[in-house]
Amino acid sequence: MATAFGIVTSSGSRFRVEGLQDHRPIGAFSFLGRYRVIDFPVSNLSNSNIDRIQVYVSQNPRSLAEHLAGGQHYNINSKRGKLQLLFNQDSRLNDIYNTDLSSYLENIEIIERMPQEYVILTPGYMVFTQDFNTLLEQHIESGADITLLYHRVDNAKTAYQNCNVLELNRQKGLNAIGPNLGTANERNIFMDTYIMKRELFVSLIRKGHKLSSVYTLSEVVNIENANLDIRGVPHRGYFAAICDFQSYYDANMELLDIDTARELFRPDWQIYTQTTDSCPTKYAEGASVRNSMIANGCTIEGVVENSVIGRGVTIRKGAVVRNCMILGHTIIDCDVHLEYQVIDKWAKIVHMKEIVASGERPGYIHRDDVL
Amino acid sequence: MKQNEMLAMILAGGRGSRLRELTNKVAKPAVSFGGKYRIIDFPLSNCSNSGIDIIGVLTQYESVLLNSYVAAGRRWGLDSKDSGVFVLPPREKADANLDVYRGTADAISQNIDFIDNYDPEYLLILSGDHIYKMNYDLMLDFHKAHGADATIAVIGVPMREASRFGIMNTDENNRIVEFEEKPEHPRSNLASMGIYIFNWKLLRELLLSDIKNCDSHHDFGKDIIPTMLGNGCGLYAYEFKGYWKDVGTIDSLWEANMDLLDRRNALNLDDSSWLIYSENQNALPQYIGPEAKVDTAYITQGCAIEGEVQRSVLFTGARVDKHARVIDSVLMPGVEIGEGAVVTRALVADGVHIGKGAVAGSADSENILLVAQDVKGKEIV
Repeated sequence: MATAFGIVTSSGSRFRVEGLQDHRPIGAFSFLGRYRVIDFPVSNLSNSNIDRIQVYVSQNPRSLAEHLAGGQHYNINSKRGKLQLLFNQDSRLNDIYNTDLSSYLENIEIIERMPQEYVILTPGYMVFTQDFNTLLEQHIESGADITLLYHRVDNAKTAYQNCNVLELNRQKGLNAIGPNLGTANERNIFMDTYIMKRELFVSLIRKGHKLSSVYTLSEVVNIENANLDIRGVPHRGYFAAICDFQSYYDANMELLDIDTARELFRPDWQIYTQTTDSCPTKYAEGASVRNSMIANGCTIEGVVENSVIGRGVTIRKGAVVRNCMILGHTIIDCDVHLEYQVIDKWAKIVHMKEIVASGERPGYIHRDDVL
Repeated sequence: MKQNEMLAMILAGGRGSRLRELTNKVAKPAVSFGGKYRIIDFPLSNCSNSGIDIIGVLTQYESVLLNSYVAAGRRWGLDSKDSGVFVLPPREKADANLDVYRGTADAISQNIDFIDNYDPEYLLILSGDHIYKMNYDLMLDFHKAHGADATIAVIGVPMREASRFGIMNTDENNRIVEFEEKPEHPRSNLASMGIYIFNWKLLRELLLSDIKNCDSHHDFGKDIIPTMLGNGCGLYAYEFKGYWKDVGTIDSLWEANMDLLDRRNALNLDDSSWLIYSENQNALPQYIGPEAKVDTAYITQGCAIEGEVQRSVLFTGARVDKHARVIDSVLMPGVEIGEGAVVTRALVADGVHIGKGAVAGSADSENILLVAQDVKGKEIV
């Protein structure tokens, strides 16, 4: 059987999620109350029996390092497997140098030493499930040099900004990879997931760097398309790219639909995460909760509707929380009224009794802030 | 290796037959409690939080699930290099035949070799079937300060209930002068919690002679403690103040779960300085549907509620379908309440399905209804 190792990639500076990203990389964003975005790629790899995994981190590594720890909670064998965090030194002179390719180049000896024949690169900033074993078999069978995973969407004019798009011919061969310019709704959004031989990956890193010091992997693959057999494979099932603040909010909100959620969270494809040992959630007398996902450790005395509530949140009497994402350990004090807000961790909303925005432009409150 | 000043041994062999069908397939310490826990999580977490590194768990009755559950010491943080949770069922030895644990003291006697490996100064004996949070390190301080041969943790119980317990009569220095098992006319309300600290060298000697004594029940309460009192040993009562519950019956198990709904509940599982650890369940956050009504409830991850829940505790993965009503009840892991069903004053056992439109329990029942088998649609139990 062919073997592969996994690389969970960082979005670098390509995407900008206002507010949240000041505090941690997208992979460490809280997702649906109890997960973090990176739980999805790491669980996908682990469930595909790939237990040598490199995670690239560029900025603010603390939260990711803590969350991933030794990887045992992802079912990674503690002797044979390995969850490795790789850092790269950001250039402070000019952000254009901070490409994915430069971070692979910095760690190229480690990549070259991996004993596995194949590499699977998958993003730490997109939410989907995928069996990589099936994909790897498909890749080998097809004889392609590189397989790229994409998701067909019908709203690319307004969403998926800064994502890449695959242009494919009828046989799913690659014509080009390029940025989503928002000119058409129907697009093949590239899921930044590649399968290729490790040797080819290493040569692309070296070649790309020689061509231009500011190239990204997708740009090099696009150029090399002339010499290589590169094909797209469509992904089925739930897919979300966390590419800006709105997409982060929307992805969480659309999973409040239980049927959509069950498409992503299947009993035969577990999504693992770190436990925090919080106790169950307490709903006080007079609480009113509808259409919400609520993590453990909360105390809820007020009204909660159409919202995602993280771990250890307190919502006091008379508070009304609608269409919000409340991240962990936040306190929403008595009679506070919140609509369409993302409240970051450890914030306390006490004095400001009304913070209301709209679904088209949800608001954001910083971590640790007291309002 | 770190010197292990005090080793803990948890007695987890009892069946808990008063819990009826709940313990048909698992031992009492493995019974679920409080939404996401099992009873044995409490002594194990207490040990971990008290800085005890080596814990032996003495299992006997239906121990497959219990053995595999406690063997994963990582759940309670008991997986550092020099710590561990060791499952100790009865075993055959070179100089002795395989024999069941004949009593609480015998369970320790049969594992003297295990304890000797660690050469502890003190031995902490715990029971695997009580719900409480306690710092055993403070009890050890008390034990040392009194220069005791043994210290027994006690809790004040209402005088009218005292005859259900083992009662300690003490002098003004907390020294135990008399021990009465379930006295008809109790003279004190200090009940033994089944938690003992012994000086290991002394206990070891007592156990070795107890093994040979044919008249002994090989039990701490019936034999070892009375012997020590008779010998004039210094036995002291360490009074524990806080929440403690022996969840021995369906009613008391239900009640202890219901206690968690109380805001002022002294168990306070939310206290981050003394967390109770458990298995890390993979489950979605709890989902409260668009038509759901949840009022006064204790609910954990993996639950999906589309009906009505009132004054109830729901364990991992419990499901309440549309128009179903769950009132004053405990739903154990994986329970499913079908559309329109009504469950009142009931404790529904692990994995039980209650069919559409069924009715289980009633608001004016004297005892809590245990539902241990699937209930068909529209059936009334």
